Amino acid sequence: MSEARKTGVFVVDDHPLVRDSLAMLINQQEDMRVCGEAEDMASALRGFAQAAPDIAIVDLSLKEGSGLELIKHLKARAPAVQVVVLSMHDEKLYAERCIRAGARGYVMKRESSKRIVAAIREVCGGRLFLSQQAASLFAERFVGARLGLTETPLENLSDRELQVFGMIGQGMPTRDIAGSLNVSVKTVQAYCARIKQKLHIESATELLREAVRWHDQQNAN
Amino acid sequence: MPPDLLSRFWNRWMVPLGHRLRERPRVQILLLCFVLILAIGVIDYGAGLAISLSPLYAGPIALAAWFLGAETAFALVLFSIAQWLLGEWLAGQTLWLPPLVNATLRTIFYAFYVVALSRLSRLQLSLEALAEKRALLLSQETAERERLEREMLHIAEREQRRIGQDLHDGLCQHLTGTALVSQVLTERLRQAGNDDAEKAQRLVDLVEEAIVLARGMAKGLYPVELRADGLMQALEEFAANTSELFGITCRFVCHSPVLVDASPTAMHLYRIAQEGVCNAIKHGRATEVTILLEEAESELRLVISDNGGGMARASRDKGLGLRIMADRAKMVGGSFQVGPAPSRGTRLICLVPQVAMHV
Repeated sequence: MSEARKTGVFVVDDHPLVRDSLAMLINQQEDMRVCGEAEDMASALRGFAQAAPDIAIVDLSLKEGSGLELIKHLKARAPAVQVVVLSMHDEKLYAERCIRAGARGYVMKRESSKRIVAAIREVCGGRLFLSQQAASLFAERFVGARLGLTETPLENLSDRELQVFGMIGQGMPTRDIAGSLNVSVKTVQAYCARIKQKLHIESATELLREAVRWHDQQNAN
Repeated sequence: MPPDLLSRFWNRWMVPLGHRLRERPRVQILLLCFVLILAIGVIDYGAGLAISLSPLYAGPIALAAWFLGAETAFALVLFSIAQWLLGEWLAGQTLWLPPLVNATLRTIFYAFYVVALSRLSRLQLSLEALAEKRALLLSQETAERERLEREMLHIAEREQRRIGQDLHDGLCQHLTGTALVSQVLTERLRQAGNDDAEKAQRLVDLVEEAIVLARGMAKGLYPVELRADGLMQALEEFAANTSELFGITCRFVCHSPVLVDASPTAMHLYRIAQEGVCNAIKHGRATEVTILLEEAESELRLVISDNGGGMARASRDKGLGLRIMADRAKMVGGSFQVGPAPSRGTRLICLVPQVAMHV
């Protein structure tokens, strides 16, 4: 395969050994080559403009700046370029945020050797690349969100409950919500209990996640 | 028992009286002794020659010896004896020698009396001062020890966090690189049709297992992520892991999101919950443990209750754990209580003020 037709991969990772060995692995593939590397956000954005890659592999924790921010910048400058996240962090916790920021794939470093090459191919082929587990979690949330947040439950929330839900989504602590609504903390907790019941949400963690998601969606629209 | 009664009377009334008298100006005490001696002299004179009230002088003289020192007391002795002699002759005593001999003997006796009492008084004063100094030293030492304990906990926490982060950001990354290089090797061997490709593949698997292990260790050392919902998330995960690991029901109850920005607070609360749950399982043999995290009007409440054997099973080991939990609560300005749960088992309550939750 000629150099020009190979997929150009740009690697952003703050650990040199990871960068080098990843480059070694990628360059070994017939259909791809590494066209640039960077260890932080600034050099990534600079190198990116010169190398004009097809795909970028981005670590979430960089020397300076966060991977998530970098993804947003990259997508804003070159929307056609695909991004795969390669991170030490748990996929269950971070994959959704990365995908929302514009990434198309998520690979955890503990399973990178076998999956990163496959991830590059899948994402270049226009598909999402997630682990089975994260994908099903994702699908469930999406379906749950459909059922949960558009068909019935959100309409079932009273005005007050919706207000509280929105405030949780803004990241306001319970006490501040109580303060701005002029009610007691206990009352806010009672609202939360009812919201959880109506939206079929189990835990406060999930409540926070759903509320933040809804808040982001509202802002996006 | 009379001696016991006497010492109780002494401690109850005389010691506080003594303390009060010491605070008065010396002139006042001197005046009091003087007036008492004069009064005894007058009464003694009135009682006539047949009755001698002179032993009563021992009272004011003792007072003077105790509070004013030997010299002043001795002057009063001389004064009282002169007064007594004067009284004798005024009352019609005709003999010269016997009263003078009596007076001399009394002077000698009172001299010993005054010296002994004043020495005793000084001894007591110095003992009291010593005791006070010791008490001060002890309280300073206790404060210092508590400070050191807190410092130790803080250092342990910081070191754990550092090792955890080194594991996560250093070793894990290094292992990732190693796994990738091994993968390169595996693929090359496979392309060359070499039989050792399988072994190289095994190497990749082993390194990847090592990454999982090291990450688990890092997580154990540094469980709470630096986000406002990090504590909630960590406790939820901890409850789920505990249930799975020990085959018990460990629930995390949190009615509305509890956001803690201050990471030391989050970390200490997490460790308190961890220790509490471990105690419940290890010492209380509990099969159900509930971790409750909630925000009240002015504070955050962390309650760990179980259905185990309760405090009766407490051991020395657990005692240390309890103290560390209390120390952790104190370090973030909170309080910590442990006691029996309403129905059965144990309940730990940790309250942390609102200010400790946010940076």
